[in-house]
Amino acid sequence: MPPLNEQLDALVTLQDIDLMLRDSRDPEMGTHEDRLGFARENVKSLEKTRERLRSQIDEPLLRTYERMSRKIPRLVVPVEGRVCQGCRMSLPTSSAGRNTPGTSIETCENCGRILYRI
Amino acid sequence: MTSPSLAASKNMSSLESLLRPAHFVSELRSRKKAQVLDELAAALAATGVTRSPEIVADLLREREALGSTGVGKGIAVPHARSTLIAERAVLVARSQKGIEFDAVDGEPVHLLFLVVAPPMERDPIYLKVLADVVRAVRLSRTRQRLGDAPDFETVREILIHAAAE
Repeated sequence: MPPLNEQLDALVTLQDIDLMLRDSRDPEMGTHEDRLGFARENVKSLEKTRERLRSQIDEPLLRTYERMSRKIPRLVVPVEGRVCQGCRMSLPTSSAGRNTPGTSIETCENCGRILYRI
Repeated sequence: MTSPSLAASKNMSSLESLLRPAHFVSELRSRKKAQVLDELAAALAATGVTRSPEIVADLLREREALGSTGVGKGIAVPHARSTLIAERAVLVARSQKGIEFDAVDGEPVHLLFLVVAPPMERDPIYLKVLADVVRAVRLSRTRQRLGDAPDFETVREILIHAAAE
């Protein structure tokens, strides 16, 4: 498996690709893009990228993402300063967050989102 | 990171409030789509809209793999919402020589409008900005004037008036 920071990069991109896939399957968004003249015929290409990204992420982290992102669509969020950009709450000074069981990924103590440090 | 203040943007259209001098590339260096997207993402990073230009450029390439955002008549509107984008932004870029962009009409692209936003589901402002951009460049005389404009302020005025017409 790639190092953790690379897995996190893959996870962030996976989340963005998932949003793109939801858009491409959403009739309202699709109509909007079609009307503006944007092509979007190759959904398979996005699905292929999705599979490639999944293969770069450790199983426990991937399971956490796939389970929790059904409830929280924007599950992976950046940390700016010491603030979680998902819930806008400050992270405790003692620890930046807590660890997700089975991984060493940080999560926000307040909202449970996965934290991404840029 | 600077954003237009609420007061200043109150009477502005969504597009107008996002047009900033630092987000204008008068002449792109690259002529290939992949490199152009790198150049655009780097320009966003220079103003703090993203700190991860390589990943944003990759995402834009993924959007292009879904289908080209080259809408024809020399115009492309690459766009994406991403976790790595801090705020909505529109970047205007030009290429006199033209870029191979797999546009719908197969013609090279001379005017690019990069539209990015944070990953909000069904963001109505993001959708409106995309629509405003496409509407603003629908007339050939507007496209010509944008290509000939000497500076960002002129480009801005042309776009604001064209989007409101």
